[in-house]
Amino acid sequence: MSPTVLDRLDRLPRRGLTVLALRGIATLVPGGWSNPTNADALIAEVLGDDDPSLVRQVRARADLLSRARHEGYGRALSLYDAVNRSQRASGGLRVLANVTAGLPLLKRIGSITPPSDRLQAADLSLKVGAELLAFTQVNGLPGDSFGDFTAALADYAGDARVRMAALICFDALLPLGNQALERLDGLLGQVSGGELRQLPAYGRLSGLLPGRGDQAHLGFLRRGVESWAGWAGGFIGQLGLTGQRAVQALEGTLGPWQGRMEGLAAFLDAFTDTYAHTGVQAVARRLVERAVAEI
Amino acid sequence: MNRALRWGLAALLATGLLVGAVVLAPFSSWLPGGTVADVPLAQVVNGSAFNRLFPAPEAGQQLVFTQEKRGFSEARLKQGGEALALLAISDTRTAPEARAKFEGSRERLQGWPLLEQGAQASALLVADRFQVKVIGQGQGLAADQRHVLLEGFDLPGLAALAPARGRTAAGRLPAGAAGPPPVAAAPGIRNGAYSSESALQEAA
Repeated sequence: MSPTVLDRLDRLPRRGLTVLALRGIATLVPGGWSNPTNADALIAEVLGDDDPSLVRQVRARADLLSRARHEGYGRALSLYDAVNRSQRASGGLRVLANVTAGLPLLKRIGSITPPSDRLQAADLSLKVGAELLAFTQVNGLPGDSFGDFTAALADYAGDARVRMAALICFDALLPLGNQALERLDGLLGQVSGGELRQLPAYGRLSGLLPGRGDQAHLGFLRRGVESWAGWAGGFIGQLGLTGQRAVQALEGTLGPWQGRMEGLAAFLDAFTDTYAHTGVQAVARRLVERAVAEI
Repeated sequence: MNRALRWGLAALLATGLLVGAVVLAPFSSWLPGGTVADVPLAQVVNGSAFNRLFPAPEAGQQLVFTQEKRGFSEARLKQGGEALALLAISDTRTAPEARAKFEGSRERLQGWPLLEQGAQASALLVADRFQVKVIGQGQGLAADQRHVLLEGFDLPGLAALAPARGRTAAGRLPAGAAGPPPVAAAPGIRNGAYSSESALQEAA
């Protein structure tokens, strides 16, 4: 039987590159980040009590909920996993291209991986799209009005501030520069269906995106990014995030970096799982909040 | 490809699917469950029916809805960006043990059984079916603050959801068990409406 959400939380790493990268980014976010990797501690925190029999009841309920296909918690995790796998694959190719660019015989590898801005923008739009889909899988459509829904979305994002800061820094500011959000819509406008299909994550997500065909999916992704960019712009302004500050913050935990910002982004894509790591934590918290209310 | 061959292939495909379905049917209980406790979704009240029953926030506080699923709706009560409490209504049809815990409850709030779970959670069972819960967050809330929040819910409105939606299940109860005593009604529902699922519920 596949592991439940809380099993996945218990198995998350407590140290390693992923955790170090997130700790670095967390220095830019007020409130910091505690890397919750213990399900029972999370339950006790939400419940406001660490009575073992209550914690056990909550855990049993949470496991039941995460195994039920209709509830969407497991589906949200598979969305995050799909995006994460594809990010590692494309990041690995980009690192390889950087390494081999100097070797004459291996130059071809560099030419088959176009880490162009357009593809990077498409990749970011897929991550934002996956985030929106995962939100509805985990939380349903909360409230009775559109205003309630956007408030719920903002609340969820506020819960996962470090997650959002990591997404903005690693996938927008580092690879696309400080004007990333302004450039995003223009870049997405140039992406063709064929280029979208080159991204492994698209193959896994296309069945879940609303609409039929590449053009409809592109339209959905552009609309999703447009609404996300509005929120992200405010977030960037509020925290004063820039590519340079992100590099400095990461140097604090990962060590000095002397290459270009795009190189750092490719390195992080290839060797860290920040998206799935924080994703499991965000889903687990919502699941526990529900299980506590239902026992 | 001629016509007869095409029809033949189609027939072969259809028989294959049919045989496959028949062979796999006995294993359906082994496949992971689609719904919580394998209760059909139609028997659970949708969470959107609960939203309007939440208490109105006081001045300076906001109520942000966070989750809405079948049989469940949850909101956060916030003040200045800090979460004060989680407020939730759930349909206990998918969690019989959640309802059973009220059998030992002595306290009453507006006539409904009230229970404390640990230091920060107060639960109320309305119309023997819907659990209303307030869980203090962060600094925490005192028990009477939580009870005031519980009273802020539209409890009569919530109780009114039960008979209209629950009629299909209640109609199948034995005549004697349809009356008010909640303890008698609990085994009635298990044996009457979900006899096939009861084994699974116990297992879960």
